[in-house]
Amino acid sequence: MKIKVIKHILAANDEIASLNRKKLADADVLGLNLISSPGSGKTTLLEKTIPALLPERSSVIVGDLQTGRDAERVAKMAVESIQINTGLSCHLYANQIQSALDDIDLAQTDYMFIENVGNMVCPGEFDLGENVKVILYSLPEGDDKVAKYPTIFSVADIILLTKCDLKPVLDFSMQRVKEDLAKLNTRAPLIEFSSKTKEGFDEWLDWLRKEKREHVGRQVGFVKE
Amino acid sequence: MHEFSIVSSLLEQVLEIAKSNNALKVNEVEIEAGVIRQIVPEIMTTAWESIIVDTIADGSVLKITVVPAIAKCRICENQFEPEIDNYLCQKCLKADVDIISGNDIMLKSIDCQTLNEQEEQDED
Repeated sequence: MKIKVIKHILAANDEIASLNRKKLADADVLGLNLISSPGSGKTTLLEKTIPALLPERSSVIVGDLQTGRDAERVAKMAVESIQINTGLSCHLYANQIQSALDDIDLAQTDYMFIENVGNMVCPGEFDLGENVKVILYSLPEGDDKVAKYPTIFSVADIILLTKCDLKPVLDFSMQRVKEDLAKLNTRAPLIEFSSKTKEGFDEWLDWLRKEKREHVGRQVGFVKE
Repeated sequence: MHEFSIVSSLLEQVLEIAKSNNALKVNEVEIEAGVIRQIVPEIMTTAWESIIVDTIADGSVLKITVVPAIAKCRICENQFEPEIDNYLCQKCLKADVDIISGNDIMLKSIDCQTLNEQEEQDED
């Protein structure tokens, strides 16, 4: 017997992601999914960003295969900091975020940063219930990564080109990155950024506050599209 | 590696549907994967074969059809078929699109043997 079905295979994940999005919206919280290769500076970005956003407050959920090191690094500055060890899984699932959100005081949180497992492929496939995807791309990775990982760059809401303080010592063609992005995503701003020198930092904070206003406003009906 | 996550979800759905139809065995599962999902059919098949062991879907064939993407420009609403590395709208020369098709992984059909079918066969 052939049974005809039309069903999204990832429907279970997507349904939980929608619940997470609603939960964040109900608490006026902006959800951000941080995606990058390992070592591109996601945790350092959070260490610099969270204090700079005060008095607006942030909570963090961190996904790593092993260790609680990243959550410990941001624990002092965040309202809540929760580490999820994914074992062999190379991305976070919506249900992991759902259970982490149960332990976070959303009434005390304005920004919910979700630091995904370092990986430029799989995290793009799984909606976690975030409002925006922040893609970090560090200079030492080389200037060919936009072309090599087109899908993740095509869904980015912002791209932070991190470790730009290394420009003088690297043969990195900014032109090549911009040309590749021009074919993939002209919506997301590209910010040349350094957590060390604070290059691009004000632009990043302005973008966060703008997204917070737009998304939270939209969800509660203040901003008309 | 995302193929393994996908086949895990797929198997859950297949077993649930098979059970609700009183299936004894699943012979074939048909899915459609949008090209943007970057599924590698060989990896998907291997993942499927390893995950179905000791279930009623053991030995079933996974048929994968890769479907093309359709993008809609958010600026001028032009619809076009993008390449995986090129979302540029040829009308307004912006790359700001919604993917309206080809971004999904869908379960399309399950071929299974039910108790009634087996009884009919036994009678024959």
